[in-house]
Amino acid sequence: MRRGVGLGAIQKHKLEQAKYTNIGNEIQENQIEQMTKQLDVFRVHLEDFASKHKNEIKKNGEFRRQFQEMCATIGVDPLSSGKGFWSVLGIGDFYYELAVQIVEVCLATNSKNGGLISLDELRSKLIKARGQSKQHQEISKDDLLRAAQKLKIFGSGFSVVPVGNGQYMVHSVPGELSMDHGAILQLLSTKNLCSISTNILCDELNWREDRAKQALEQMLDQGLSWIDLQGDDCPVYFFPSLFNVGSSEE
Amino acid sequence: MTEVDISWPWQYSFPPFFTLQPHPETRSKQVAAWKTLILDYCRQTKTYSLDVREANQWPLFSNSAINRKLDSNVIISILSELAKNGNAAALDKAKNRWEIYWHTLEEWASMIYGYICESGLQNSVITFFELSNGTDVEGQEFFGIQTEVLIKVLRVLENDRKCELILADDMQGVKFF
Repeated sequence: MRRGVGLGAIQKHKLEQAKYTNIGNEIQENQIEQMTKQLDVFRVHLEDFASKHKNEIKKNGEFRRQFQEMCATIGVDPLSSGKGFWSVLGIGDFYYELAVQIVEVCLATNSKNGGLISLDELRSKLIKARGQSKQHQEISKDDLLRAAQKLKIFGSGFSVVPVGNGQYMVHSVPGELSMDHGAILQLLSTKNLCSISTNILCDELNWREDRAKQALEQMLDQGLSWIDLQGDDCPVYFFPSLFNVGSSEE
Repeated sequence: MTEVDISWPWQYSFPPFFTLQPHPETRSKQVAAWKTLILDYCRQTKTYSLDVREANQWPLFSNSAINRKLDSNVIISILSELAKNGNAAALDKAKNRWEIYWHTLEEWASMIYGYICESGLQNSVITFFELSNGTDVEGQEFFGIQTEVLIKVLRVLENDRKCELILADDMQGVKFF
């Protein structure tokens, strides 16, 4: 066989390469085009689906959650924009309305809990306030989380703190909760307690005493806890937001 | 002290409610809750006066279920707060003895004068006992009002020239105009 040497062979080789690249590009473009088409089709279908099941989405909590998950997988956020197609659908409105109600409940209970409320209590208060019809009642914790997280855009005045075991607390006063504060809430929530002392905190989390004391005093200063000096021998810090949850109250 | 079923607020079983709170905002919530509780309690038990040295043992200030008590000094400072709105008055300098007005003297006054007008008792003389414990006033809000408090209420009306007190030894009463 004749070996390709010399200028001619090099040029030929270059030409081939260029052709390959061209073809490669073409294929890629084709693929992208197809993908875009597919996505477009999918989006149209999704929008169709959403408008067809608009009422169902509003009324049925489980359905709403699954719809949200589906949107999330393909990177569509019906809440993110008040403009365009999704605003016609009014799914955003549902969550905006919910967010406003969450703020209302937080304000109303602030006198008791100092601006910290468990998601469960928030939900039961909110449902009570929303009226009797079934569609008003079916608000899932997932809905609340979504709505509450939207409120973050207003700055540090509103945040959702995970406290483990799928439990959340909503913090509705200015001021950030530090990691240590979060750890305290998490400990109380998992142990189902509403009060704690420096000693117990040190034992449980393996903290030094000054760290525990500082964290607890800070929460006292934010009005999130109350101090009890008539306990055994050391001050005990009580969290009204965790006190009496779901029992004798009202 | 009559036994009455009190509907205690949630704070009553919240142990730190009995310790004065250091954080100003929390403390103002706490004091406000205490003020409401004291007035509600006195209204429901028909308590017109108290002595702090004794009252600190009452269920109002001492929840045996959680073994918590409100300190006498704290009680006095809360009563002083109530006094600012005309809902209480100290009777001695040490601020141990207090009268509690779950209706202010002015409110009592207009209530009693309203009753007098309704029953057409202007220009007649009524004894304190008739006014506070008579069968005619049974069911009125001021039924059973303590005489010392009643006199203060009537003084308010007297200032408005709506009545005149008669404080003779043999007859203690009031004439309304």
